[in-house]
Amino acid sequence: MNFDFDDDQQLLRESVRRFLDERYPLSVTREALEADVVLDRELWRRGAELGWTAMLIPEQHEGGSITSQPLVDLVVLAEELGRTLNPGPLVSTNVVADAIARFGLDEQRSTWLPRIARGEVIATWSLSAEGTPDLEAPGVDAVVSEGGVTLNGTARYVHEAVGAELVLATVRLDGKAACVLVPLPHDGVRVRRHTGLDLTRRFGEITFTGATVPADSVLGGAEVLERAISVATVIKSAEATGAAEILFERTVDYLRDRVQFGRTIGSYQAIKHRLADLLIEVEAMRTATYYAALAVDEGFEDAAEAVATAGSYVPEAFAHLTGESLQLHGGIGFTWEHDVHLFVRRSKSDEPLFGEPSWHRENLFEMLDAATLGESA
Amino acid sequence: MDITTSEVPPQYDEFRKSLQAFIGAHCPPLEWKARTGIRVPEEEHDVALLRQWARAIHDAGYVFDRFADTPGDPYEQRVLEEELGATGIPYVVGNALVAGAIKMFGTPEQRSAHIGPMSRGEQIWTQLFSEPNAGSDLASLQTKGRLDGDEYIINGQKVWSTWAQWADHGYLLARTEPSPGPGGITALILDMKSPGIEIRPLREMTGTTDFNEVFFDDVRVPVANVIGAPGEGWKVASASLATERGGVGRNLSWETVVRLADLARTTSRRGTSLGDDGSVRQQIAAFAARSRIQDHLGKRVETRAENQAVTAWDAPLMKIWFSELNLEMLEYGLDLQGPRSIVAEGDEAAYDDGFLQDAFLYARAWTIAGGSNEVMRNLISERGLGLPREPRGDA
Repeated sequence: MNFDFDDDQQLLRESVRRFLDERYPLSVTREALEADVVLDRELWRRGAELGWTAMLIPEQHEGGSITSQPLVDLVVLAEELGRTLNPGPLVSTNVVADAIARFGLDEQRSTWLPRIARGEVIATWSLSAEGTPDLEAPGVDAVVSEGGVTLNGTARYVHEAVGAELVLATVRLDGKAACVLVPLPHDGVRVRRHTGLDLTRRFGEITFTGATVPADSVLGGAEVLERAISVATVIKSAEATGAAEILFERTVDYLRDRVQFGRTIGSYQAIKHRLADLLIEVEAMRTATYYAALAVDEGFEDAAEAVATAGSYVPEAFAHLTGESLQLHGGIGFTWEHDVHLFVRRSKSDEPLFGEPSWHRENLFEMLDAATLGESA
Repeated sequence: MDITTSEVPPQYDEFRKSLQAFIGAHCPPLEWKARTGIRVPEEEHDVALLRQWARAIHDAGYVFDRFADTPGDPYEQRVLEEELGATGIPYVVGNALVAGAIKMFGTPEQRSAHIGPMSRGEQIWTQLFSEPNAGSDLASLQTKGRLDGDEYIINGQKVWSTWAQWADHGYLLARTEPSPGPGGITALILDMKSPGIEIRPLREMTGTTDFNEVFFDDVRVPVANVIGAPGEGWKVASASLATERGGVGRNLSWETVVRLADLARTTSRRGTSLGDDGSVRQQIAAFAARSRIQDHLGKRVETRAENQAVTAWDAPLMKIWFSELNLEMLEYGLDLQGPRSIVAEGDEAAYDDGFLQDAFLYARAWTIAGGSNEVMRNLISERGLGLPREPRGDA
């Protein structure tokens, strides 16, 4: 039993943390909070050299993971990036890299994967016009056409949509889900930047108006989407866990120092008990995330259940924790200067992305219902 | 990262089969109704059957690690726990927590006098720790032991002692040394047949009698019955209580999740099954996620235990997580039943013969017993996060 990281993964954590502390801390991102572009592409490329976008890419295409459990490796990276509220599309780019590596043609793999691994190409991932993975929502429709496949419709809430060189678009094709690679910029594709709640990331809207790509751009259907959601949920949960962890540490430090009524406010039981609950929450976020990563990597029977567990619990715990942290900081927490609002913004806008908690819970209930129906009979 | 617990290899099939045959032949039929939690028989007849059952297990050659000097074959231990656990009937009679204390701190004489007999069902033990004025603040306990020659004379009162009404021996904490707080406490082995002991069964809010009050009036205990050294009782007790807190409630919450799913499927409102109601599905799934996370948290704690890296918050965290999830689920289990929730065990209209009604009441024990959750939160914040300790009011 070792439900923890290996030595190699600990080394990875140290090197990434050092890089982020020295080169790309939250203070760097803060300088661009109100700019059109918040992601520093050069720093992102430097990060890619440390493997940020390479874990799910095979070695022959310039990728490679640290251990035989690439998603667990990615959890380490994502926690560290999460601690700094990094603006980069860690979820989307890794989802697309994984989809091409698993489901792409040789030519697509050799065209895109080395450039993604090097951080030269930002790949993003789109769902419906409502940002959800369900097919009933309005979104992008695809039809087989003379030139290949033609896309029409809008996808929203797409991370780093403006600036991405590649999008994996989730579309409806013959009434079924399909995942289609579209290089950007592209004829018939318009991109618009959203004004966002989360100031440390940029999202956008992609509108397809008769955009036609070769037929082999379709990587596949439901199986691609399902895998993408598993990968996304793990990485998103790990980023949330890292962010929750650092904010919790900062909150405890603040409460240990802040004196009111002649004593540190961290000595009041009303405060201590809330901090105890937050510690429990961070531990729970961690374990749900680690277990999901391990279960998907190892193909455990309960992998889908583990994804639904993390996908439903972690984002809500993250949002709860940031709210509590703000309250415990008092007035200083309501200022622009203090970082806590950036965590509140991050957690609240993280919650509904790539499958919202209630969507995961519905999946979980369906699995539970199917598994226990026999037991009660 | 590796959490695989290896499958029991096929060569243990024979062991399992013969154990199953043994269980089929010897497992006793009890009057006792299966209920949630740590419950104690109300009939002497059942106690006798349980003693015979423990004896039969022992005589058949099955040995539990808790009673053994050296750990047995881990796969055999697993098969034993799985198969005997599945009967729903206790295979260790009484509160066996003391076995660990005696193994860790006891003399060779104490070990031979008690460990063997416990494993054969000849000795039922009870734990004599909590007092009416020393619950959460156990270290303030006031039961006195006054040294008189080679005996201690014990006076005072204990409460919340499971199995005391049937116990042969007690695992007693008493204040024998002049210092206040933990330093003055000694752990003792008490013969429950000693003159001066009065046991009053305590009926709990569930209506069942699983605990007792125990009164001591000049009860004499030989100095030779001290576990460890005088004044070391806190250390001895902490070692055994730590195992109890870590073990509380493992695997219990998933059973309740399954019960809730069954209940939702078989209950209708306005002509629609609650299993098709979106809000019900969401709530039960939220419980399911928390129950699964309980398992994962347990694996993290296990990993830290194996690496000798247990933190101050591990046991309190597990206790809070399980007990509060359990309580919320059972409250919800009654809500889902609607008006039917008002009928309980014994009424023909009751759902599942009132199992959930009883479990709902018993759930209040888990958030209090073994250190109330408020004390657990103090432990996490003070010992885990290093925040200032609550000041004593009497210091």
